[in-house]
Amino acid sequence: MVNSHLKYESKQLATWYFTFAAIIFGAQLLFGLVAATQYVMPGFLFEIVDFSVARMIHINALIVWMVFAMIGSVYWLLPDETGIETVGIGLGKVLFWAFAASIVVVVLVYLIVQVGPADETSLWLIHEGREYIEAPRWADIAIVVVVLGFIYNLYATGMKGNRSGIVTVLMADMLAFAGIYLAGMGYTDNISVDQFWWWWVIHLWVEATWEVFVGSLAAYGLITMIGAHRKVVEMWLWIEVAMLFGSGILGMGHHYFWIGTPEYWWEIGALFSALEPLPLVAMFIHVLYDWGKMQGEESAKGLETSVIANKPAFTWFVLNAIGNFLGAGVWGFFHTFPQVNLYTHGTQFTSAHGHLAFFGAYATLLIGMFYLAVQGKNGIKIMNATKKSIWATSMIFGGVLGMTAALTLSGYVQVLVSRAQWGATWEGYFAGQASIWFTQGMDWRLIMGVVTFLGFFVLIADLLSIGKATHHKR
Amino acid sequence: MIGEILMTQDIGVDEFLPLFIASTLVLVFGGFYVGIYTAVKVKLLKNWAMPFSYLFWILTAYCLYLMGSYMHVNDFTAKALVVAALGILILPHAVYYMQDRVHEENEH
Repeated sequence: MVNSHLKYESKQLATWYFTFAAIIFGAQLLFGLVAATQYVMPGFLFEIVDFSVARMIHINALIVWMVFAMIGSVYWLLPDETGIETVGIGLGKVLFWAFAASIVVVVLVYLIVQVGPADETSLWLIHEGREYIEAPRWADIAIVVVVLGFIYNLYATGMKGNRSGIVTVLMADMLAFAGIYLAGMGYTDNISVDQFWWWWVIHLWVEATWEVFVGSLAAYGLITMIGAHRKVVEMWLWIEVAMLFGSGILGMGHHYFWIGTPEYWWEIGALFSALEPLPLVAMFIHVLYDWGKMQGEESAKGLETSVIANKPAFTWFVLNAIGNFLGAGVWGFFHTFPQVNLYTHGTQFTSAHGHLAFFGAYATLLIGMFYLAVQGKNGIKIMNATKKSIWATSMIFGGVLGMTAALTLSGYVQVLVSRAQWGATWEGYFAGQASIWFTQGMDWRLIMGVVTFLGFFVLIADLLSIGKATHHKR
Repeated sequence: MIGEILMTQDIGVDEFLPLFIASTLVLVFGGFYVGIYTAVKVKLLKNWAMPFSYLFWILTAYCLYLMGSYMHVNDFTAKALVVAALGILILPHAVYYMQDRVHEENEH
């Protein structure tokens, strides 16, 4: 660990995970740009990297970089929370290389082989064809082995060291996170049954286990960055777990409207979807409460200095509360009821929601963790933002908001023209696609995608250089 | 059949824009309600701002009503929306109470 202030190997391993996550994040954005370009110029990279391939890499890379960053985040916070080195750190390092190598092979197969025969060999060696989790079965099994090893490290460390509330929640959450993945590994030729189990993975990840995970990270971040009271933060975490599981699990009903499941899912989906904004609203109270209390106490002592120990990371954490509220909350609530979803399903509304929700709820907080790691690695006591930090944050957040607005506009055209006016007919589909509002929405999505991609490079430049800046308090 | 179970009539072409605006405002006004309530409680805002938080809750509930009307919801969904409105009203009080109790217990 030359030139590093890291005292624990666990934190060093975390930086490996963060580094690989950042690379895959770049790949996600690159192939997103390719797919966005193909909406505007359908012949772009035709029969070289077709839309189906570009989109597959775009959305699978999204999941992979976030999983890498999430595992890295756990390795980062474990020594702080438990007070000891992570148990089985050697195993953790071996699993990192196995995981990274598997992902590289999977992506190369996606790019070079692309498709295979309609039999079991494609499922085992190329991809499974389930959006977001398209890894071939051999990689599925490898992922399960890697995650089981990671869970062993987490449990062994939690049981040996100080088991804080955050670690306890993470231990339960990561077990659910891994267990739910198994639901997406089976094969059936009944598309309704296949989709039924596939949603167990996707929905119960993003609206239950991942939300609890980022709640735990937010709790850790608020303690380390603004010195929030641990018991208050952990109390909040338990409230959030209860609320998310209360509304989130059966909120899955909003994915079961039109896939061939029984009609009672319409009512279940409507009721629990109506309740789903509540945890997000509660999260907003939580951040405001902690920041307000801590800042108020500093002001009462006559101190005008900010209580924030890592300003770039805190900015991303605040953007998480805002982005989660907008992306998962507002854009989710738009079309979560079956009465509206009947018209919006499968339009660019879904894409707008997906972009802002994944970014707002998860990417923001994980980028914040990158900055916490830079701070720890460089031994910085109070880390200030640089011009690059501000540019990166503005370009990425502005770019994603712009893409979301453009996709919403295009989706609105599809709802009105293709669905409401033409009744979801073949002619209606093309009438919607040909609308100038739809095509201009696609143009603007591409432009804002470029802004986001450029912002990513500024972010990487900042992460590589901010630790050496001289305006921090060390 | 979908219409019979879910809604009393189809959503009209001219109803989509107000529907989407109403559903957006549900969360925007709800956010203002919760934000102002919490900010007053942690003394980031003066006490006179508190009535405005409840004004925003009334607006939230009204937008939920509008949303349900434009969707032409059935009785069940209408009840779910009322539960959601009450949940938004009670939530900040309950969460703040629990957080503050824990905070006080650890301060004193």
